[in-house]
Amino acid sequence: MANTRTDLMQGTLELLILKTLSRGSMHGYGIAQRIHEAVDDVLKVEDGSLYPALYRMEERGWVSSEWGVSENNRRAKFYKLTRAGRKQLEGEQANWQRISQAVTRILQTA
Amino acid sequence: MRELFHPLDPEQTRREIDEELRFHIDLLTDEHFRRSMSFEDAREAAFVRFGNIEQITDECAQIKRRQHPLIRALKLFLVLVFLSGVVIRILAPEYHVTRVGDVLMAVGFLGRLWLYVRGLVPSSFISKSEESSPLRLRDEVQPSIAVYDLKKQTPVERVIFRK
Repeated sequence: MANTRTDLMQGTLELLILKTLSRGSMHGYGIAQRIHEAVDDVLKVEDGSLYPALYRMEERGWVSSEWGVSENNRRAKFYKLTRAGRKQLEGEQANWQRISQAVTRILQTA
Repeated sequence: MRELFHPLDPEQTRREIDEELRFHIDLLTDEHFRRSMSFEDAREAAFVRFGNIEQITDECAQIKRRQHPLIRALKLFLVLVFLSGVVIRILAPEYHVTRVGDVLMAVGFLGRLWLYVRGLVPSSFISKSEESSPLRLRDEVQPSIAVYDLKKQTPVERVIFRK
C-alpha cells in the first residue's frame, strides 16, 4: 500500500489566507468560505485551523485585525493585509510558482 | 489602552477569542440549518467542520499572550540588556567591570530562556518545523464521527474509522 503523506507544504494555508485577504478585509468565517469555494474538492481545511494561522500571521505583522460589525449586525473581528503581508504574499507566490514549475519539470522528464 | 491596564489577563483574552470563534460556529450552524437540517444536527455539523474548539482556543490564547505590548517590550529590553553586557565585556578594561557585563549577559539570556519556557517566545524562534500544515488532501481524510456535548458545546470524543 502506498505511503500516504497528508501534510502539505508548510506555509500553504498562510499563502491561501494572504491571497484571500488581498481582496479586502474579511472575518474568519468569510476567509474560510472563500477558501472552501476555491479548493473544497481537493483540500480539506478544518475551519478552526484558520485561527491559529491568523493569530501567528498577526504576530508576524502580515495581517492586522480590528473589531467591527458584520453583515448580520454582530460584532466580528476583521482581518486585513498589512504592507508587510502584501510583500510576503508576493514573495510566497513567486516561491510557490518556482517550486511547482521545478517539480513539474522533474515529473515530466524523470 | 485597555490591554495595557489589564496586562496578561487570560480571561479577557479567552473571552475575545471565544467570541470570535463562536461567531464563526454560529454562522456555520446557520449555513447547515438553511440546508434543512434540524438545529441540533446543524450545530453538530458546524462543530465537526470547525475542529477541536478547546485546542484552537488554547493555541490562539498562547499566541495572543506573546503579542501583548508588555511582553514585546520585555523581549526588547532583554535583548538590549544582553547586548549591553556584550559591549561592556568587550570594551571594559577592568576586571570588576567585565563582571558587570557577565551579569548583564546572563540576565538577558536567562530572561529570554524563561520567556521561552513560559511559551512567550514563538516556537519558530527555535524551529519552524514544529508547525505542521492543517491542510489535508481530500482523498486522505479519514471518515470520523465527533461526539459533542451540546450543552457545553464542546467535543467529547472523536471516533475514527480506519481503512
